[in-house]
Amino acid sequence: MLVLTLKKEWLESKREGRTLWLSRIVLMLLACALLSSWHSFQQVQSQKQQVETSERERWLAQGKKGPHSAAHYGVYIIKPDTGLSVLEPGLTDYQGVVLRLEAHKKNDTLFRGIQDSIQMQRFGNLTPAFILQTLLPLLIILLGFHSIAAERESGTLKQLLANGLCPKKFFTAKVLALFGLALLFFIPVALYIVYSLLFSDSITVQRSVLFIVSYGLYIFIWAILTLIVSSYARAARSALITLLVIWSLTCLLLPKFAINNAAKQHPIQSSQIFQSKLESEIYTPARQQAIAKFKQDTLTEYGVDNIDELPFAWSGAQLQFGEQYADTIFDRLFGQRQLQLEAQSLHYQSAAILSPFIAVQTLSMSAAATDLAHHQLFSNAGEKHRRLIQATLNGDLKDNGLTIRSSDKSYQGDRHLWEIIPQFFYQYPDIGQLTSHYRRAAICLIIWFITLILLSYFAIKRIRNEGQQ
Amino acid sequence: MNNDDQTNVISVIQLSKHFAEYQAVNNISFTVKKGEILALLGPNGAGKTTTINCLLGFLKPDSGRVNIAGINPAKNIVAARKQLAYIPEQVALYPKLSGLENLTYMSKIAGVNKNIAQFRQLLHQVKLPDHAIEKPVGSYSKGMRQKVGIAIALAKNAKALILDEPTSGLDPSASHEFSELIQTLAKKGVAILMATHDLYRAQEDAHTVAIMNQGELVHSLCGDEIKEAELESLYLQHVRAVSTC
Repeated sequence: MLVLTLKKEWLESKREGRTLWLSRIVLMLLACALLSSWHSFQQVQSQKQQVETSERERWLAQGKKGPHSAAHYGVYIIKPDTGLSVLEPGLTDYQGVVLRLEAHKKNDTLFRGIQDSIQMQRFGNLTPAFILQTLLPLLIILLGFHSIAAERESGTLKQLLANGLCPKKFFTAKVLALFGLALLFFIPVALYIVYSLLFSDSITVQRSVLFIVSYGLYIFIWAILTLIVSSYARAARSALITLLVIWSLTCLLLPKFAINNAAKQHPIQSSQIFQSKLESEIYTPARQQAIAKFKQDTLTEYGVDNIDELPFAWSGAQLQFGEQYADTIFDRLFGQRQLQLEAQSLHYQSAAILSPFIAVQTLSMSAAATDLAHHQLFSNAGEKHRRLIQATLNGDLKDNGLTIRSSDKSYQGDRHLWEIIPQFFYQYPDIGQLTSHYRRAAICLIIWFITLILLSYFAIKRIRNEGQQ
Repeated sequence: MNNDDQTNVISVIQLSKHFAEYQAVNNISFTVKKGEILALLGPNGAGKTTTINCLLGFLKPDSGRVNIAGINPAKNIVAARKQLAYIPEQVALYPKLSGLENLTYMSKIAGVNKNIAQFRQLLHQVKLPDHAIEKPVGSYSKGMRQKVGIAIALAKNAKALILDEPTSGLDPSASHEFSELIQTLAKKGVAILMATHDLYRAQEDAHTVAIMNQGELVHSLCGDEIKEAELESLYLQHVRAVSTC
């Protein structure tokens, strides 16, 4: 019955010019979005590679200078992308791609795509994810709203039932036929994933599986939801209206409401206020007192009265102490901010129980490593690297700063020292290790799936009872 | 199953059905034997469609029972529906599909195992014009749609055929063609129950005529009685008599 229904639905859709045109438009949009994202991804990757190479060269070729000057000279590190970010750019444009690592400061990422966008672009970029998450459900609705309701209206349902149609098989075949038709729109995306898996190392199998399964479930959810509504509706028109209301609520209004609500429930300070708070908490009399105490403790430890009598360069030790002092404040304040952002993210995810859009969006961004969690992991890795640089440079200054004390010149590091600092290399962890960041969304998507499977029992019953009114 | 059940393909036994305060069918009984055509006459609201819906398993009787080839649809709807074919007043077909595609889909979904050539043959058998077979049903006349309906019934090889106002809206020529098809089916042993307003067609085709009014079976005629009767005056007499009670 499945093949039969699939063939019949396909024939009807093919001959229904409107449906065919809609499908063509969506496919064309998807192809355009995919090509444009792919092109832009390739460009960005090539630029990133160039910058990474030249940045290392810049660092190594900075010439002779004091280690602390080199710490301020800084290093730029670049956030890596997975191949899935072509499909799901997620928060990339809002998070920035470059992080400057320098002394005393924990910087925010730079070069946010949104800053380069013209105003109109901010209202929604045409990305494959946008088409799959927002437009594809709409297309599924337009393809399937009339599927059972129109059979009821025209009388074919009653006639089929009288001829011995099995309602359960009929409903299942209709769902699978609509699901199959909708999956056709996923083919370009699936091909891209397979291509990336085979010919590039930009994505992993696990991330691809998470991405494909999430969208598979999402498409199935919309297909079965459309047919449940269609089987309940007395007329195709009322099925369409009901489905459009559900679509606009779950894909447009609820996500917006959920974001606002999450921000309200877990408010965070603006970046400017946060930065000024950081400064005010670090550069305080307490810091001066802590440095004075450290100095006194060090002098006592070495049994000397003056820093000039210490067996190492005091400036290196003091700078490292200052770094560590600031690090504890960074850890506390950034930690709080990070917790608030995670709380916002989880709060938003909870709304997935009312909107499968939120669930698939979260899972999609997780798989593509374009969500908040992955950004924070990158930032944390960058900060770890910054601390390593500072510790290495300050340690070098401490150990070697006295070597030319007698001359007028201060100690300078050279290429040998710069080479000790390893090049930053970051790879996102296995997606399986990050389940806590998207578990809630995954559970919500599964709940949607199970609930709709259960509700289909009533839809089948409704079909079976056709003709009793 | 007794001998009567074996010959009576369609049995309606003391059937009653009401909707809220309204008694749609009140204790009616009749049978349709193999190869027999029974015309169920009656004005709108007489209970003809309710009786048909009970036979099709869409409605459960309040009391009494119905059988299709010995199977009670209220107890085993799937088995009962396998034995019957149903043609409503407006044969519901998919307008974007051709007659052949409609026949193929409707039959296969009901479990009929035939190939395209056999389905095409069935459409020839019901005299659907060759040029129309591959055309979308949306362009068909009512008579052509009825022919596709008959082809669906033929494909199913059903023991019982239930028709609800089949000739309503057909021109005399199409009505005549339809009548021929019905009679051919009856000769093949199909039991046919035909609810109709068409007194002429009932008199021409039916082996038994049953007149219903206000949910009751008020009169029935068999065999030669039908040909000899002034059916119109008899019909009006019974319909008016009960209406004025």
